[in-house]
Amino acid sequence: MKIKKKKKELLYPQILNLDDDFSLIKRFIDGDQSTFNTLVQRHKEKVRNIIYLTIGNHDLVDDIAQEVFLTIYKNLHNFRFESQFTTWLYRITVNKCKDHLRKIKIRNIFSPIKDTEEELSYYPHPEESEVREIVQKAISKLPEKLRVPLLLKDIEGLSYQEIAESVQCEIGTVKSRIFRAREGLRDILKPYAQELM
Amino acid sequence: MKALYKKYEMLSAYVDNELSDADRKKLEEELKFSKELQEKLAELKKLKQLTFSSVKSVEENPFFETRLAAAMRIKNPWYTKIRKLAPVLSIVAVSIILMVVLKYNPQIINRILEQQRSNISAFYKENLKPLLFTADLTNEDIFNFAFYHQLPLDNKKHQYLQFGSDNNGKQYFEIKKAGLAEGNNNLEKFIKGLNLNEKQQGQMDSILASYAADLQSQVLVNKKNTVAINPNIWNYNKALTADLISFATKANKKEMEKVLPPGFEHYYNNKSLAQMVSRVKSSTNKRYIFFTPDSIFSEPFNFNKDEFKKEMQQWSKEFKKNMKELSKNLNNLDFTVNLDDNFAKLKKDSAWAKDFKVFFDSNYCMVHIPNIIIPPIVVPGMGDLSAHLDSLTKLMKDYSFNIPELGKHKNYHFKYFYHDSSKGLNFNFKAFGFDSAFNSKNHKMDSLFYSRFKNRNFHFNPDSMASLFRSFRSDSTNINQQRSLQKEMQEFQKEMENFRKEMENLQKELRKNVPQPETKKPVII
Repeated sequence: MKIKKKKKELLYPQILNLDDDFSLIKRFIDGDQSTFNTLVQRHKEKVRNIIYLTIGNHDLVDDIAQEVFLTIYKNLHNFRFESQFTTWLYRITVNKCKDHLRKIKIRNIFSPIKDTEEELSYYPHPEESEVREIVQKAISKLPEKLRVPLLLKDIEGLSYQEIAESVQCEIGTVKSRIFRAREGLRDILKPYAQELM
Repeated sequence: MKALYKKYEMLSAYVDNELSDADRKKLEEELKFSKELQEKLAELKKLKQLTFSSVKSVEENPFFETRLAAAMRIKNPWYTKIRKLAPVLSIVAVSIILMVVLKYNPQIINRILEQQRSNISAFYKENLKPLLFTADLTNEDIFNFAFYHQLPLDNKKHQYLQFGSDNNGKQYFEIKKAGLAEGNNNLEKFIKGLNLNEKQQGQMDSILASYAADLQSQVLVNKKNTVAINPNIWNYNKALTADLISFATKANKKEMEKVLPPGFEHYYNNKSLAQMVSRVKSSTNKRYIFFTPDSIFSEPFNFNKDEFKKEMQQWSKEFKKNMKELSKNLNNLDFTVNLDDNFAKLKKDSAWAKDFKVFFDSNYCMVHIPNIIIPPIVVPGMGDLSAHLDSLTKLMKDYSFNIPELGKHKNYHFKYFYHDSSKGLNFNFKAFGFDSAFNSKNHKMDSLFYSRFKNRNFHFNPDSMASLFRSFRSDSTNINQQRSLQKEMQEFQKEMENFRKEMENLQKELRKNVPQPETKKPVII
């Protein structure tokens, strides 16, 4: 019985080892293209969520996620195994989102001035709106460099280290940005303190 | 303040579980004794919880992997990368071409600009004509030019060329929209003021005319709103003024001072002016200043006075020739009027003959259209209408009348006279009350009269005691209506009879069933 148990213990770590990101990437580099599908399946939801949280537009999530994975697919042969795969993946994701936001900004310069109605209706009357809607709009009001670390932390549960690598800055900066984001959020939500408590 | 901020920042990291063990322990110790930190911690926790609960995860897309696999299979061709760089590449290409062109042909830009400039100036120089010709200048205008420094630029006198000099004595001219009011008659006042005789007036006119001829080439205009002015015009102005003043001084020195507008005193006995007059007339300045709707520029321009004169003479000849031909044609006016047959027939109509008039003159042809007479419409009054209706009702063929009660009379005789028939219609009823009584419907009618009653039936109702006699047209629905009504009435009567009988029977049955009231037996005492 004891011998059998030992055999089982030996088998599981081997399988786990084969299944982690590094092993999959190694197999991909060796020519097993199917392992890329496993990587996609494993991380697609996280990537899509980060895109959605960063951009705030549901319709563009799949397009940008596709771009992210295509970039990964093209450059996976050059992966150096120095940091976690997710760190690299999230950095690419955040960069793609930044590219997209930059494009929108440039496009807005050349497009006619938006009606101020949208701005005015930004804070709906508390009686008419739900708490979640108020908070969502308050978050979207935050500047991008504060909003992204906050959402990566509070929604996606990434560590400060992971966030720092994703947005390419120091851990201290991430800590500071998340705190500033919370302070900003508190200020925006001040008029709705009663509804939110 | 900064320390507190740092503390709050640490609290935020504490909420995220991102503090080192040492920092966490230290902060937890502080938290125990600081209510402010506790409140802040609660606030940060609340905010974290709000953020977490507010943002929904994006919905799963089952087709994502399929789409990604398809996108991975597509290999972008090499030119897609170039297409991305197209804007940059095009700018670079244009820059290189420009650099090469400018290196081997550095004057090209200047040449293009020069070409453009000469094109513009040629465009505005086209068909320049002397102002005198286009603005139709009079002696009065020339006189005003001498003493009031104004020259009209068009024959409607909307624009004026105003000459002046600034405080430093520099001369200028400008184009103004309003000038001297019309009807000033400055020349006339001048002549009257000087008491000039006819001969002197003639001399005065000839001076003005000679300057007008000289001025021709000084101000040129065309239809493109270009005004080309020779700066020498200022000297012409002075020369003209000097000439006029010297003439006036000779003519009437006493009155001259009264008539002359102020500011011309320095012209008296100024010998240098005489020299200037001769110099001005002999000068040949060919540089003009061009005022165009686009720009103002100065360029040499050669206005050929002789050519213009020839042109004018040629034009005048042609004009005269044309006028001659025109007058010849006018003398031999020949009109041919062709009327078609239908229209010719109308000539017989007196109305056309009377009212249709055509006038021919050397200049015009006028046609008088005949008056259209609308016949009066007589609207009848109500009295006439009722009379007309009465006469119409007489023609109606349906009639009815009452026969008086039969009583003892047994024989009846009816006579019907028709107004356009020689014979009447007679009905004789000897045995009234029989069904066959009315058999004499065609009785004693003439053939003509009979035709009028051909489709007519006469009915007689014997049951009604012959109180009503009626005639009906055979095609009238009245008969059928009467008959159907009669039938209905008969049926109704029958039904009513049946109903009455039923009611009687019911009554009888009910009587039978009615319990007889008990009769009390008499009490025997």
